[in-house]
Amino acid sequence: MASLTHSTPHRMRRAQPMKLLTSGAGIVFVLYVLLYAIYASLQPSALSSSTFTNLVNNSVPLAIAAAGETLVVLSRGFDLSVAGVISLTNVLMAVYPQEGPFGALVSLAICLAVGGIVGAVNGWLVAILRLQAIAATLATMIVCQGLALVILDAPGGMVADWVSYELTDRLFGVLPISGLFVLAVVLAWLVFKRTNLGLGLYAVGADEQAASLSGISVIKVRFAAFVGAGMIYGLAGFMLSAQTATGNPNSGTPFLMLAFAAVALGGTSLSGGRGGLIGSILGAATLMLLQKVLFSGGVSSFYTGIFQGVVLVLAIVFGSAFARLTGRRTTA
Amino acid sequence: MTSQVDVMSKFQAEQDTRKARRIDRHTVSAIAVFVLCVVLILASRLVSPSLGSWQQVLTVLTLASFLVVLSFGQGLVILTGGLDLSLPAVITLGGVLTTTWIGNGPGAWYMLPFVLAICGGVGLASAIGIVWLKVPPFIMTMATSIIVSSAALGLTNGTPRGASPDVLLLLMKGSWLGIPAPVYFLVIFAVVGWIVQSRTVFGRYLYALGTNRDAARIAGVPITLVSVLPYVISAVCAGFVGMMLVGYANGATLRMGDNYMLPSIAAVVIGGSSILGGNGNFAGTVGGAILLTTVGTVIAAIGLEQGLRTIIEGGIILVALLLLREELFERLRGLSGKPRSGG
Amino acid sequence: MQEPVSGPAVPVGAGEVALSIEAIRKAYGATVAVEKAAMTLMAGEVHALLGENGAGKSTLVKILSGVVRPDAGGMVLKGRPYAPTSISAARAEGVATAFQELSLLPNLSVAENLLLPRLPKGVAGMTSAAGTWQAGAEILARYGLDHIDPGAALESLPLADRQRVEIVRAFVNARHVLVLDEPTAALADTQWLFDHVRAATAKGMAVLYISHRLSEVRALCSRATVLRNGRSIATVELSAATDGDIFEMMVGRRGHAARRAATSTAATLNAPVVLSVSGMAGDTLKDVSFELRKGEILGIAALEGQGQRELFRTLAGLRQPASGTISVDGVAQALRGPSHALRVGGGIAYLPEERKTEGILSGLSAASNIVLPILPSVSKAGLVSGRNERAASEEHAQRVEMSQRYLSFPIGDLSGGNQQKALLARVMATGAQTLLLFDPTRGVDVGTKQSIYAAISNFAEQGGSVLFYSSELPEIVQLAHRCMVLYGGRIFSEFTGEDIDEQALVAALIGHGGAERRASAGVH
Repeated sequence: MASLTHSTPHRMRRAQPMKLLTSGAGIVFVLYVLLYAIYASLQPSALSSSTFTNLVNNSVPLAIAAAGETLVVLSRGFDLSVAGVISLTNVLMAVYPQEGPFGALVSLAICLAVGGIVGAVNGWLVAILRLQAIAATLATMIVCQGLALVILDAPGGMVADWVSYELTDRLFGVLPISGLFVLAVVLAWLVFKRTNLGLGLYAVGADEQAASLSGISVIKVRFAAFVGAGMIYGLAGFMLSAQTATGNPNSGTPFLMLAFAAVALGGTSLSGGRGGLIGSILGAATLMLLQKVLFSGGVSSFYTGIFQGVVLVLAIVFGSAFARLTGRRTTA
Repeated sequence: MTSQVDVMSKFQAEQDTRKARRIDRHTVSAIAVFVLCVVLILASRLVSPSLGSWQQVLTVLTLASFLVVLSFGQGLVILTGGLDLSLPAVITLGGVLTTTWIGNGPGAWYMLPFVLAICGGVGLASAIGIVWLKVPPFIMTMATSIIVSSAALGLTNGTPRGASPDVLLLLMKGSWLGIPAPVYFLVIFAVVGWIVQSRTVFGRYLYALGTNRDAARIAGVPITLVSVLPYVISAVCAGFVGMMLVGYANGATLRMGDNYMLPSIAAVVIGGSSILGGNGNFAGTVGGAILLTTVGTVIAAIGLEQGLRTIIEGGIILVALLLLREELFERLRGLSGKPRSGG
Repeated sequence: MQEPVSGPAVPVGAGEVALSIEAIRKAYGATVAVEKAAMTLMAGEVHALLGENGAGKSTLVKILSGVVRPDAGGMVLKGRPYAPTSISAARAEGVATAFQELSLLPNLSVAENLLLPRLPKGVAGMTSAAGTWQAGAEILARYGLDHIDPGAALESLPLADRQRVEIVRAFVNARHVLVLDEPTAALADTQWLFDHVRAATAKGMAVLYISHRLSEVRALCSRATVLRNGRSIATVELSAATDGDIFEMMVGRRGHAARRAATSTAATLNAPVVLSVSGMAGDTLKDVSFELRKGEILGIAALEGQGQRELFRTLAGLRQPASGTISVDGVAQALRGPSHALRVGGGIAYLPEERKTEGILSGLSAASNIVLPILPSVSKAGLVSGRNERAASEEHAQRVEMSQRYLSFPIGDLSGGNQQKALLARVMATGAQTLLLFDPTRGVDVGTKQSIYAAISNFAEQGGSVLFYSSELPEIVQLAHRCMVLYGGRIFSEFTGEDIDEQALVAALIGHGGAERRASAGVH
């Protein structure tokens, strides 16, 4: 059948599905740039490298956590264990610090492994035993929180110096090192997206039955999504520890809502099959930037939440209205 | 034609099992949860003689009253297939407004309903976003939660002041015939809640909506009203829990609701309801709330540290989920010696 | 009538047996979907699978495709035992299916859909976008679908093209056996499909073709196996069987059913109009106008997807027409929703087509399901009275001959027939004077059908009006005072009283001989 080689004019259109899948990311990117412009006008130092590094460092744990959550949401699932895994890995880092670059590597491996194990348990409960995802991951989250409390019953401990200094520093004086971790997650995602499993994620999220009739193993895809997400939460916990340099058994709790907010803001549909990880990362960055903008605009930090909540709802409402205008069929 | 007759006769032969199963599914999980509570309290005696007393039962019931009220609202929302994440924030709002606006001064008789109305307004706002703007319940209630917490924070400048109105102190601290007032309240609330959920037209509409939204709509159920009300009721319940906590602790804090989010869902799920909506009953939820509280107090009493207590709580939810799986019921039915005709 | 040829007959081509099915049985809970189904497909033949709705065709297709596993019985593919455990396993053995409810992913591209679950690999084991596009383009070109962009998101295609993609994917994956389940439901032009089916059989492929359209079956297939109530009744040479023979095998009796309603037809023609539709258009509907009179049973006959669904849903208030007016009892109405439709004039109640997704509330008892629309009237001060609920549900269950013993069961546990009876009892309980019944006997057994017919007739005799669509012509012949045939979104022809005849309806369904009938019907 190779005789039918196709001419180039069609080739241009290949980029289309990619564009469609990331259109949510496009909207939130514009939002981010606008916010940053406002930030810069309120706070001239916003354009300096150190302010930017600070901002990136602040945003990274949430961005990575949201990236993990996206994997599960894309497959039409929910994963509340994000809070538990972050708390658990954070206290592990603070109670058992491993010095030096090699120690950091060991710590990272431990964080990824812990996250992967929790993800595998979630996958077993949801994909194989077919428990409701919200309820099952609620249980694993609580268990992880409990484990975190057992390891460290009150805030304290010290994260290894090497981790807390080097990972919050800048490379060549400009590039925030923590940003490189986000970049690594994005690259891994771009590769994963171009595997059969990655495509399966979108397929299962859009229509489980049709996916299975198309020959996709729904169980395998679901399981992989939870394991992958768990490992990414582990990374988020690692980065949070570098950030705070200390341990807190409840450090993951704020991430629960914010991670979902970032995912939704980034244009990933909570009913699955649409969106992507990059949008979630930008969504997380936007939420964190919003805090800075409000602060430098003189709004009391007490009221930050009001703006975050309103932005979240508006983003969802406009996102779906935009989707309808551009002719997408909504799956109701 | 004969095959049709076969199908019919086989179906009829199976009737009795089916009926038995229906009773099982609805009441057994509720009964099982209550039995588990009793067993747990009795067993705690073995650990320490100070446990398992009548006094401890009363303490458990008093503490459970918060969760029972809260999970009634959460249960109604879950019944329609939604989820209310704004409860902790609304608890705080209700509590903070009660102490700052009313305190122990006069005017509680009209101000308390007013505060509850404000809480109901928060629920209405969530419902508007969910029903008309089509924002998923999870996100919408999360957004109202963030907004309300932030408003409560700003309102109090970070430190809530004031004390509890006397009427709430009376409700939470009073007692009659040696039994604390909250226990009477719990019993009355449980009965009323059960009637609302299982015996009223509204309750029936909720089940219809949660089971199959399209079918309910075609059958003429006023779905807009029935979708909105649970969120309003849920927020009013949360506001009232805030007041109860104010009465119990004679003051409010900005974090007073934080520990109630997950238990409010867990009580509903342990009580046998599906988190996807459409089934379960309030008796089970009340049992779930009491069980969670019992576990909490027993574990606290035997001196387990917070971490282990949390692990056990998570484990209980997990076990409840595993036990409530539909397939498990099917399998038990198969083991009970009445094989399916199709097998 | 020729005797049906049972078992393997002389194949058309010089074929060997491609696939044989022996005594397949599959039950879902208490419902036996397929029982003793047997069939032999020869290589190089197009074999039709015929049967009423609910005869077990879909289940058989799912078993062949590896989606469900049979409880008993076996299959032999090319001389080897064939028991696929998944759809991929079936494909690996060369059996592929184009499903009736398309199995495509709306959010993926055409090329990705065609190649799932494994896309071409490029650099470092990653799927290659260029390779996928290329492979998709080649497949589309091979099947003459150059106009479809392989990179387009599937949901951006019109329904007909989506159906073609589904069919092409099955062609690509089938080596020995190709199953086409209602492949033309959304295709206006069947020539494309027929050409490729013939090309495939010429290379020795066996094709199992499932369609409601007998004319298509005759044009394409050589033999047909008829399924009834989950059993294979016979396999016939199509050239030797008349339409009447086939109908008889499908429904178990001759096609010419006795007309039940004949006597009262004249009376209804002059009765007052309760529902009048004029110039309704939108989506698939084009200028639909008709009147429904008091005490009248008006049947709608149509092939799949001729606009009947839109018509019923519009009248139930579930969708808004682009233009046209609906008048109830002489007053023009904009129906805002089902609960509004129930309240206008004498009320309009709708029995939806999908029992599972739009009808039953599976966890609730049958009694609760029946009284749902009239809950306030069986309640006191907002409290549902158990006694009133029981009394009301018993009363309405009686009207559809539903046994009272079932009323306390969760409706999801009842057989399809009893579920349908309960739903009919529900629409009757509303007290609405006009009922919209969409395929009221879909997938129910013969006994239940009779009860449903009787309930509908009684309802009309007591002055109620019924608009009903049926996918089974004998049903329309038996019940309707008047019948309209929808074709391409228009009322193509109309028959009254004794003129409602199965042969004439069949012709009109496929767009033949309607115009003069319409002129002579003279009701408008």
